[in-house]
Amino acid sequence: MSAFRVPLFIRGELIESDWVEFGGRSSAGAFEAPDPRKYADRLPLASPMALADLHAVPFDEILDVLAELGRALDFAKNRHIQQAYEAGLAASNYPASILKQSYIGLPYVFGREQVREVAESRIGIAYLDGWKSRTLADGRVLNIRAFGARALHVPAGNGGLVSAVTIIRNAITRSDAIIKIPSNDPLTAMAIARTLADIAPGHPLTKHLAVAYWKGGDTAVEEQLYRPDKIEKIVAWGGFASVKHVTRYLQPGLELIALDPKRSATIIGPEAFDNEETLREVAVRAACDIGVANQEACASARVIYVLCGTDAAGLAKANQLGEEIYAALMKLPDHISTVPKSFDRELRDHLNASRMAEDWFRVIGGERDEGAIIVSQIDEPVDYSPLLSGRVANVVPVDDIRKVTDAVTAYTQTVGIYPEKLKHELRDLLPLFGAQRLTSLGYACNVTIAMPQDAIEPLRRMAKWIVEESCDPDKVFPMWKVPGGAGTRRAD
Amino acid sequence: MSQHNVETFMNDPIRFFDRSITAMHEIPRDELESLQRGAMARRFAQHRESIAMLRNLADRLGIKELREFDDVVPLFFAHTAFKSYPASLLDKKRFDLMTKWLDKLTSYDLSGVDTRGCDSIDDWIDRLDAQTPLEVITSSGTTGTLSIIPKDKAGATYNMELWKMFLFQRFGKEPTAEELDPQVDVIWPNYAKGKLGHLRMAAMLERAFTGGDPSRFHALYSEEVSTDLMFLASKLRAAASRGELDRVVIDPKLLARKGEFEAMQARRPAEMAAFFERCTAVLASKRVFMTGAYNLMYELAAEGLKRGVKNVFAVDSAILTGGGLKGFVLPANYMDVIREFLGVDRIQEGYGMSEISAFHWACDEGRYHVQPWVIPFLLDPDTSEPLPREGVQTGRAAFYDFLNRSHWGGVISGDEITIDWSTRCPCGLASVPIAHEIMRYSEKQGVEDDRISCSATQEVKSEALRFMQEFEG
Repeated sequence: MSAFRVPLFIRGELIESDWVEFGGRSSAGAFEAPDPRKYADRLPLASPMALADLHAVPFDEILDVLAELGRALDFAKNRHIQQAYEAGLAASNYPASILKQSYIGLPYVFGREQVREVAESRIGIAYLDGWKSRTLADGRVLNIRAFGARALHVPAGNGGLVSAVTIIRNAITRSDAIIKIPSNDPLTAMAIARTLADIAPGHPLTKHLAVAYWKGGDTAVEEQLYRPDKIEKIVAWGGFASVKHVTRYLQPGLELIALDPKRSATIIGPEAFDNEETLREVAVRAACDIGVANQEACASARVIYVLCGTDAAGLAKANQLGEEIYAALMKLPDHISTVPKSFDRELRDHLNASRMAEDWFRVIGGERDEGAIIVSQIDEPVDYSPLLSGRVANVVPVDDIRKVTDAVTAYTQTVGIYPEKLKHELRDLLPLFGAQRLTSLGYACNVTIAMPQDAIEPLRRMAKWIVEESCDPDKVFPMWKVPGGAGTRRAD
Repeated sequence: MSQHNVETFMNDPIRFFDRSITAMHEIPRDELESLQRGAMARRFAQHRESIAMLRNLADRLGIKELREFDDVVPLFFAHTAFKSYPASLLDKKRFDLMTKWLDKLTSYDLSGVDTRGCDSIDDWIDRLDAQTPLEVITSSGTTGTLSIIPKDKAGATYNMELWKMFLFQRFGKEPTAEELDPQVDVIWPNYAKGKLGHLRMAAMLERAFTGGDPSRFHALYSEEVSTDLMFLASKLRAAASRGELDRVVIDPKLLARKGEFEAMQARRPAEMAAFFERCTAVLASKRVFMTGAYNLMYELAAEGLKRGVKNVFAVDSAILTGGGLKGFVLPANYMDVIREFLGVDRIQEGYGMSEISAFHWACDEGRYHVQPWVIPFLLDPDTSEPLPREGVQTGRAAFYDFLNRSHWGGVISGDEITIDWSTRCPCGLASVPIAHEIMRYSEKQGVEDDRISCSATQEVKSEALRFMQEFEG
């Protein structure tokens, strides 16, 4: 028996029929949704020209609608959001306290000033609201406008924020969105869409949003959608398999904006051990980077390099820091971190094995699946570091700053660093190894969308950058005039 | 029950059961469990003294002795215990430290092992073979490491005796003299040598079944699988999953053998053809023993039938398969295809795992009967708490094998199995039957799941697994 139903939202119309069941055999997250194969042909925008209505809406009005939408997403009052929360509890790995907090924070990101800042800093409102002019050195006047495009979004399901960000980005770029619902967050995008339809029925923003569930990889649905005559861009988050799967549909005219799976790292300088007070603060900050959202985010800290040395004194420091981080992790408040709802079996087996290999590893905590700190007694992370999850992190002591580049690979997103001085030292180096965002220790999971993401500018990529030039033959050399002979330019 | 009884039961079950597999599986459950409790307590007391890692774990948990079956559950090792060393030790060729690590996992004293100048994993394992009672086996991991399981030579020899009994005797019948010491040609559709669990077996089979005549051992490929090459493969896979492929350093000594590996690769089609020819012409109608994983057997059989070859061997040949389907998709009638090609009246199946030595043979009902020297457990897959030993239960399989002397025999598997504790198996045997359907939890996870998260933690497992499966077949 399904726990809940996921309707279909097509440009303001809600479809609640033709139910079929989805979800794992024993999973509590099983749900029903209208047969996607039956409705797939109705999801795309009929013609790219149909985006004209949205381009006629002033940016100020878009801000107004989003702000009103944000106010209407009040967790205490909005039934759609409450349902999304309940469905998320069943379908995701988040405990109630953390999930609830993510919905309580939702209205803020739709705030007028927040959205304006994103639009202004990532694209420039002048480009969005009309034609931005600039005279080039050769004399031509260049007018550029960022147009919307027809995009299909495959957002990550770890936290409702990703769905909100998708809808905000779609509105800012005046694009048309088909959102494929992630099975681990089945109703957040739907709740936002339905609320939008409630407060702005018939508005172009409402008419350029479709939200649907189909099983990722269902070619009967995807082959109808993932085509350049239906969409121009695919924005795919996370999941190696899902991003890789999307690549089979790519062809000229269909672009992939990949926000692929990432891991994050932490680097702590020797200053952490200056005094007890500093050590405790560093430990709390590191614990925060590990524990927020129960380490489910790509920005979550997992391997923590510490420049404390690997001699006996260095190891003692690393072990002390490990103890302090563990203690701080256990004290994090419920709305940001809890004992994980589930714990990876393979990781538990590795933890138990490391506990026995005491020559190389010291395992602090983890006997109740509550989270753990593994302190390496050598300058290497555990071999199973890719499995670190459920509030388990690995403290790795190193002797030399040259060794910390090991922390960073092609898969690295965020690097949390302490102190600031070390961050400045490393900021021209770590990006060459793969790091995409360097931040102050303790802020890894404290993110804003008013910045590039995964070393790309998703908003700029979502827009179509259209050029209109004015060339005055008196100022810009006219090629049809051939004074000095064929193909040559006058020398004076 | 006398102390002598328990000692014989736990150290030499072949003698205890008078070389009869029927006796082994007809012993009443109560009597068996009482013997098992005694054996468990004794073996634990020995291993607590001789195996450092077990002692540390027991001390930490405050476990001094074992009385009831469930007492042993917190002491189970997962497969991870056999790869708890940092893989960098292999890269750095610190075989002195590897030996020190292994010393804590085995009941034997390895302090005298000379690893000076040791420059490859194969070299190290060869030295352990030469200098100690051990005959370690390896298995490839998914995290850039190898499991190293300290098996011993004495155990291997004893196990082959057991294999002989189970291959050639029939349940319910007293063994004949011929069944007690059969000599047959051994057909091994695999690589001839290697330290991987199942490749180690090649030499054991050759010793045990051919009456010492190497010309009666027929391997598909003549080469030895290099453990160092397997380690590199495992490392590459792990590096790819971490986005670190650009950092993998290949040992120059291994790189120097590249031509040799490529030549082996190039020889394979010819060896395959020669092997096929030998089986269907030279060995035709002979009584043989052949064993291989399902997919290997199937591929060979399908190829044979395609060429119009069938009923190759004598009808009373011993054929054994098992090892799970390992992600290979075979047609539903794969056992019929194998049977038709081989021309035998029965194909035996078995269930075992590298971490324990016991092999559980399937009865005519297709259920795997747990050997008397093994205490089976079903654990809750999430909490690892033991499930009740009554009724029909499905859970994570764990076993305590007290016949194991060289290492701790308490192992928790990655398999989901079903046991009917309360009903006697329709085949008539009294021993505990495990249902034929066995699934790895790791395979189960990927099924029916399109959850997407932005963090790259989960997908590494399934990705890394595939490569290894191809090799381990």
